[in-house]
Amino acid sequence: MSLPALEDITAEIDGVIRVETFPREKATPIIMEMMRSVYPHDEVFGTYCTVNDYVDCPPDELYEWLSDTRCLEEWTYSLRGFEETEEPGLWVAYDKLGGDTGSPIYTRTVANPDSRTIDYHCAWDQGKHLWMIYLMRIIDAQLVFDKPGSVVLWTNCHHPFYDKNPYPETAPPKRPVWVGDFWDMFGAGHLLELKNLKAIAEYRHHNGLTVKPDWMK
Amino acid sequence: MSVSLIDVSTYLPGEPIPADYYAQFAESDDLRDNVMFKAPKFRHHVGEDETTIDMVERAAAGLIERHGHDTIAGVDILITHAQMADVPFYGGGGGMAHRLGMKPNWVLDLHNGGCAAFVLGLKVARNLIESGEGRTALIAVAQNAAGQIFDQPGVRRKAQASVPGDGAAVGLVTLSDESPILDIECRTYGEYAGDMTLSVDPPRKWWQPGPGEGSIGFTESKITKVLARGNRQVPEVSYAVCDRIGVKPKDLDLLVTNQPNRAFLRNWRQALELPKERHRDTFEDCGNLFAAGIPVNLDRAITEGQLKRGDVVMMSAFAHAGDFAGAAAVRWGGRG
Repeated sequence: MSLPALEDITAEIDGVIRVETFPREKATPIIMEMMRSVYPHDEVFGTYCTVNDYVDCPPDELYEWLSDTRCLEEWTYSLRGFEETEEPGLWVAYDKLGGDTGSPIYTRTVANPDSRTIDYHCAWDQGKHLWMIYLMRIIDAQLVFDKPGSVVLWTNCHHPFYDKNPYPETAPPKRPVWVGDFWDMFGAGHLLELKNLKAIAEYRHHNGLTVKPDWMK
Repeated sequence: MSVSLIDVSTYLPGEPIPADYYAQFAESDDLRDNVMFKAPKFRHHVGEDETTIDMVERAAAGLIERHGHDTIAGVDILITHAQMADVPFYGGGGGMAHRLGMKPNWVLDLHNGGCAAFVLGLKVARNLIESGEGRTALIAVAQNAAGQIFDQPGVRRKAQASVPGDGAAVGLVTLSDESPILDIECRTYGEYAGDMTLSVDPPRKWWQPGPGEGSIGFTESKITKVLARGNRQVPEVSYAVCDRIGVKPKDLDLLVTNQPNRAFLRNWRQALELPKERHRDTFEDCGNLFAAGIPVNLDRAITEGQLKRGDVVMMSAFAHAGDFAGAAAVRWGGRG
């Protein structure tokens, strides 16, 4: 007996492709039409910026490091000088990409050890509205690659504030750049940082160090 | 002194056969709407008693007209490729040499090159000439599957049967600086060699007696793999050559490729960032010409003045189910 799937909808919904209305001979050409040699950068990185990599260290150890906001001081390209604010869990640092003196960047890390999700909720200049969200998930590589280690999935969504600073009054005077100016290089930039993350974690794991360093404990 | 591809000439057998030809036989086929197997408007079929030797002789007529019979008769190196050998045991190389009045020191039959055989032939010709084994090479390719294995009464009912077209081509390669071959990249991916199959129902070896028509193809599960491989391999070998000759793909004056279907043509020019005008194909008129695709498209571009003296043309293709791919760049020196 089959489940009453979609029984509440009598209309045929445009764009829904299921085997009942699109048998293989109809669906395969659609799939093949979608398969290309190359995909435009904007199609791949325009709205969602996703980078992934394998890291050769145990997933729980990696989670322990990445769920501590201060890890960003180590593996990011340009976030430095993390200090906790008066508001517990909210940290402030300087993004060295933001002008000569850097831009203040606020971060609150929301992490779940069961699903090993680590979301860095961030914003330049102010800590009230953390709209730049770095969504990361660590997966046990044993499950997905049949080998020890971790897989890191990392996605950012193109929030409209990347295109227009919603709080210009909080910006340092005469700052020449805005964080969203860099959106088009996030694919490459985040991959570069993910390679940092991988290299550091693997170095520690291979050399008998804990992935989360002592200074953070 | 460089090695040059100085001219090509081609042959398309018989009158064009319209897509309607297949409609009378068509059976319901899951693959008919598949972009890999959508029929071209026209294709040519090899004549019933026409051999690969006949096809190559007819293709060579243009070269003989422009360069004289002595040039062809004096060829030192004959490199051949036939999609379906007239006789599988020994191929057509010897017979082609004889028909063209040659006594070459070298006759090589390149079966593995598939749709990229012209590129492989260029590489072999260049290397033999550079090593002093001769001054002139002729590359002869004949595609004759459309009017033969794809025109069997049972096979021509299938959607895939309408895509191939027959044709032949010859290319003349000499020790000269006229139209230098700038670089060539050939890659073999042997792990995919078995993914193109000759299947017979009920199963038997191709030479064994029995009922059932031999059918060349892929299973539907392999089609997407072949598409993905072709999507990747042709740009990869083209980029490899572009890198070495210091030309950006988007600055190529002309791209000619094999032409298995419309999807590949679109995907490859997108990958090389080339507009349609600089990717010459004859798919609608000739269908999938297999190994003859590159030289037939090149010949069209030259004859119609699209490829001009000094232009850089990239020829690239992949073979079978992705077991071989090649790309070659030539700075065209004109037909002299």
